[in-house]
Amino acid sequence: MKAFAYVSPTTAKDAIAALKAGGIVRPLAGGQDLLARLKDYVETADTLVNVKQALDATVTPAGGGLKIGAAVTLDALSTNPHVIRMYPALAEAAAKVGSPQIRHQGTVGGNLNQRPRCWYFRQEEFVCFKKGGNRCFSVDGENQHHAIFGNDGPSKIVHSSSLAVPAVAYGARFVVAGPNGEREIPAAEYFTLPTMQNVKKENVLGDDELLTHVILPAPGHIRSGHYEVRFKESRDWPMAFATVVVTMNGANVASARVVLGAVAPTPWRSEAAERALVGKPLTQATAEAAAAAAVEGAKPMSQNAYKIQITKTAVVRAILEAAGKRA
Amino acid sequence: MAEETMQQPPAANPNEPSANAKKYAWTVPPAKTAILSHRVERVDGPAKVSGAARYTYDINRPGMLWARAIRSPHPHAKIVEIDFSAAKQAPGVRGVLAWKDPGAEVMYQGDVVAAVAADSEDHARDAARLVKITYETLPFSVREASSKDPATPKIFATGNTRPGQATDVGDVAAAFKSAAHVYEATYDTQVITHVCLETHGAVCEWTGDKLTAWVTTQGVHGVRQQLAAALKIPEANVRVICEYMGGGFGSKIAADASVVIPARLALVTGAPVKMMFDRKEEHLDTGNRPSAFSKVRAGVSADGKCVAFEAETWGTGGAGQGAQFPLPYIYQFANRKRAHLDVYINAGNQRPMRAPGHPQGCFATEVLMDELADLVKMDPLEFRLKNLPPTAPDAMWGEYFKIGAKKFGWDKRRATGEGGKGHLRTGMGVSACQWGGGGRAGNAHVDILPDGSVVVKVGTQDIGTGARTVVGIVAADTLGVPLSTVKAQIGDTDLPFAGASGGSTTTAGISPAIRIAAGRAKEALLARLAPSLGGDASKLEIVNGRVQVKGGGKSLTWKAACKLLGQEPISIDNAWEPGLSSVNTSGVQFAEVTVDTETGIVKVDRVLAIQDCGLVIDTLTAESQVYGGVISSINFALFEDRLLDRRTGQMVNPNMEHYLLASIADVPKVEVMLMNMPERGVIGIGEPPTVPTASAIANAVRNATGATLRSLPLHPHRVLAALEAHKAGRKA
Amino acid sequence: MAQNEDDVSAVSRRDFFKTVGVSGLATGVLAATEQQAQAAPGTLGPGPVPVRLTINGRPYNLHIEPRVTLLDAVRDHALLTGNKRVCDRGTCGACTMIVDGRTVYACSTLAIETQGKKIRTVEGLANGGTLHPVQEAFCDKDAMMCGFCTPGFVMATVALIEKFPHPTPAQIRHELNGNVCRCGTFNRVLEAAAQAGGVNHG
Repeated sequence: MKAFAYVSPTTAKDAIAALKAGGIVRPLAGGQDLLARLKDYVETADTLVNVKQALDATVTPAGGGLKIGAAVTLDALSTNPHVIRMYPALAEAAAKVGSPQIRHQGTVGGNLNQRPRCWYFRQEEFVCFKKGGNRCFSVDGENQHHAIFGNDGPSKIVHSSSLAVPAVAYGARFVVAGPNGEREIPAAEYFTLPTMQNVKKENVLGDDELLTHVILPAPGHIRSGHYEVRFKESRDWPMAFATVVVTMNGANVASARVVLGAVAPTPWRSEAAERALVGKPLTQATAEAAAAAAVEGAKPMSQNAYKIQITKTAVVRAILEAAGKRA
Repeated sequence: MAEETMQQPPAANPNEPSANAKKYAWTVPPAKTAILSHRVERVDGPAKVSGAARYTYDINRPGMLWARAIRSPHPHAKIVEIDFSAAKQAPGVRGVLAWKDPGAEVMYQGDVVAAVAADSEDHARDAARLVKITYETLPFSVREASSKDPATPKIFATGNTRPGQATDVGDVAAAFKSAAHVYEATYDTQVITHVCLETHGAVCEWTGDKLTAWVTTQGVHGVRQQLAAALKIPEANVRVICEYMGGGFGSKIAADASVVIPARLALVTGAPVKMMFDRKEEHLDTGNRPSAFSKVRAGVSADGKCVAFEAETWGTGGAGQGAQFPLPYIYQFANRKRAHLDVYINAGNQRPMRAPGHPQGCFATEVLMDELADLVKMDPLEFRLKNLPPTAPDAMWGEYFKIGAKKFGWDKRRATGEGGKGHLRTGMGVSACQWGGGGRAGNAHVDILPDGSVVVKVGTQDIGTGARTVVGIVAADTLGVPLSTVKAQIGDTDLPFAGASGGSTTTAGISPAIRIAAGRAKEALLARLAPSLGGDASKLEIVNGRVQVKGGGKSLTWKAACKLLGQEPISIDNAWEPGLSSVNTSGVQFAEVTVDTETGIVKVDRVLAIQDCGLVIDTLTAESQVYGGVISSINFALFEDRLLDRRTGQMVNPNMEHYLLASIADVPKVEVMLMNMPERGVIGIGEPPTVPTASAIANAVRNATGATLRSLPLHPHRVLAALEAHKAGRKA
Repeated sequence: MAQNEDDVSAVSRRDFFKTVGVSGLATGVLAATEQQAQAAPGTLGPGPVPVRLTINGRPYNLHIEPRVTLLDAVRDHALLTGNKRVCDRGTCGACTMIVDGRTVYACSTLAIETQGKKIRTVEGLANGGTLHPVQEAFCDKDAMMCGFCTPGFVMATVALIEKFPHPTPAQIRHELNGNVCRCGTFNRVLEAAAQAGGVNHG
């Protein structure tokens, strides 16, 4: 990687100011994604701003829910008893990220803001849309891991954050701080589908902003399920996964959130699957109907039609987990 | 592998045991030995677990520079210009080198063009990016199918394909006519790379006209020879050292650019130069296992005898290398015919990889065997027994199948496709392997020093198999002293010549030489001690480090005995001699898998590996070789795949993230049964156990689900497609 | 690997690096960016700066660039070469060190960030000539072959045993999952970890 300057401010304000130092400045949290990108010359930086001292690394109760600092590590998140009790899908997603070493270093903020793992994006030879080029190499290339939803835009990546999916499912809000103060953005609106205008980014975070907190609303009487289809059990990325959050009215579903991961350039909410659940009991048949609804409208590329079956399986199993019917 | 080029003393019958071999025959059974064939801990284990073991990557020399290669990003191009001007001005740069000249062609992504040396690795990397190379890109092919297509323009000077050796045995046409069933299918296996954890590289340092090269290599002597030739200097002026090396698997036999570049840059800069490839370079340019495609037609008689085999095969070993593999594998087809085509593509060249050719040929044959067994409605194991070569010491498959079936619970295996009702289906598969092994290139020097030290010098190297431990065990066992008494020296061209560690030949190459040298040294010692111990050397023995008169009487501790040598140690050299080693091994493996039919994910639950290798020197480390072979074959079966982008010809997964490899959560229970055959002498075990696991797994998937997987790796997309095809009742 | 074989022909690269390419490739990425002199207070580098590390309880005063990783600082500057560089991208675990009690990929951690922290490498485990129980167990079970992944596995196992003194097989698999061995020693690493921690079949 190219040589860079380094600064480690101790307040969010100083960190945000440091982002405007000039040249290419990147925030460094756990560094598990950023350093690999720099080493592979996917991008370069003139200055790294270590934000770990500047950002909150605690999980605190807030309005019946939880306020999670962006500097909380994935390990701390996955083992936090409040998170495990109130938002089990989030804890499970965190526990499955990478490996112990990555979870010890990786942070909530870093996971939500990580760049795509698309193998074209990750190799410097492929100057794709995301790197200022004029094509998405997956279109007529090796696209077995690429998007089956939301792939009408210029880039066909899948969003790689495991936490983003349960965050959307639980209705989280992200706190973003910039030179002009803070703003709160619903998780579902934070992530962006690629257009020619925004294709170089995966979310609305400005270059001079930092994600500081994730606010999870009071869970109420929800049930949730999370299932990741993983080829390898050891450190790898899920092929597709789903988080399901439901509220019940007696034996039947009153409301539902079904969010899919690793299938689209953003966490992919399936309202069709949600409709298929509402008013129904949480049975195998309902789960299968919801899964079938979830993959309606999928547009597989040349090599990734198999992901439809895998996505269906993830949805069924997440629903059954929410129903307490999976061991 | 490289062994074939080693000179051997001419002999009327090269396999006739020599007089020395008879005199110093192995002690059998091993129950009578002190340590030979026992479970002996690796002698360099403490060095490896403590970080004290120094690999080439760990060598740092005073004033050392770092070198970095500049490689072609293009799969095929002509070099127009190489401009070093900006690189030369970069901080810390001390030297540059053009590996190829303008006008030359690069034949694959990662082909080396130039290199730089700088005062730190980061500076070398920075400067490498400033070397401006102008290319004229040329047409390329990165798919076997396109290279085979006659419509494709000529990319390679000698043509895009090269016919391989054809075979034609018996009367194939008549045999097919007589066959009760004729079956056709196409099988293929993918290109995988070696992924040595220690990447290729070297540290080179000149002292006057003498070069010392620390090289991560499987053959110090071969590398010296090739390096001297590349540099046009006498071999006598080159010393190659490799005390420890981090995996080779066949890819570290030659003195490639990773050795010659630092040697040349060290000469240019007058400083020691270190060059270690990075992971991406390792994937692109340090070898791979060729792909293998087999379009097969097989005929079988009504009573389950394989009678006819016809195959058209092809594969790619990269930009100009062959892709041969044995087919059919092990099982006997009396009438057979095969035509093979080596296909060139614009990708890094193959190098021998653990049992070259065998995993590929084994896969096509063993999956076919299960399909044929179903055709004649026989149990696949029974069907195999019917078609094996006759049982012999070097062909034990039939025995092993029977032993394994009992141990593995083969009787619980259900019929094809009846692996359960739910989404989790289980099934069993079986497969066999063979390998030659048996090296001949080994020389040993044994010193017994007056203070009781024993030094054994063998110019072999340890690629992870435990060569240092083997040297120690053979010498200690022969001398009758504890292992700790022996200091084994290996990994240096200043030591007596031994062959490259390839083809499972190291142990068989060095052990006979050590055995005889140590035996002669012991005899010489006893002769020198005889006057002090009753005068008759033939009545003396050494037991547990004590020199004593047989049947009681005077005795001396080892140390006291050696002290009597005065100022003149015992010093004996011996070369390999026939009679203490042999060739040809056999093995079988059983696998049980669970297939999730809703995701296409195959999980290997357990593997049983039965393997012989002649005389086992160290049961503990030999077992490790088998475990390793199984794991490596699981990677081949499920995970590994070198993927080249069809439009740009560039590799999309040159890392350890998208190039998948198993870790600890992915490994099954593995049971190893080593079949010790001491009477056969030493043979070797590195390659065979990695041959059959993949095909046993594919057969187990078929048994579980009814879906036949004829293509590796068993990625969920392939498994789901095969399940779908099976469900639709079509031939996948 | 055979998929879509048929739809491919030998293509010349029509729109990609037409006739001329430069080895540096991503020229857009390489282009010099305007460096303004408005660096934030406390900004260090990009040239070498003093970095003080505490490795295995000993202080090391290094003079290195901020871009130097913990792994490179330890191997190339502190000259402790026990932990290995294999993937250099946080995927294989050969570089695993224990920093403030937790395993990290030293290749994916900047040295400058680890100032003031307790860094443990494989060299810090043995007590004089006595191996750490985990190291002993690796030797007993032959949980190594070429040995290049071994230091990382040993460090991950030490952290495992410190976290779960008597680990279950599931805990062993979970905690050692970030390490890769190419020779195939996993089964014996499992045995070694079980031995080092005392058996717990729970």
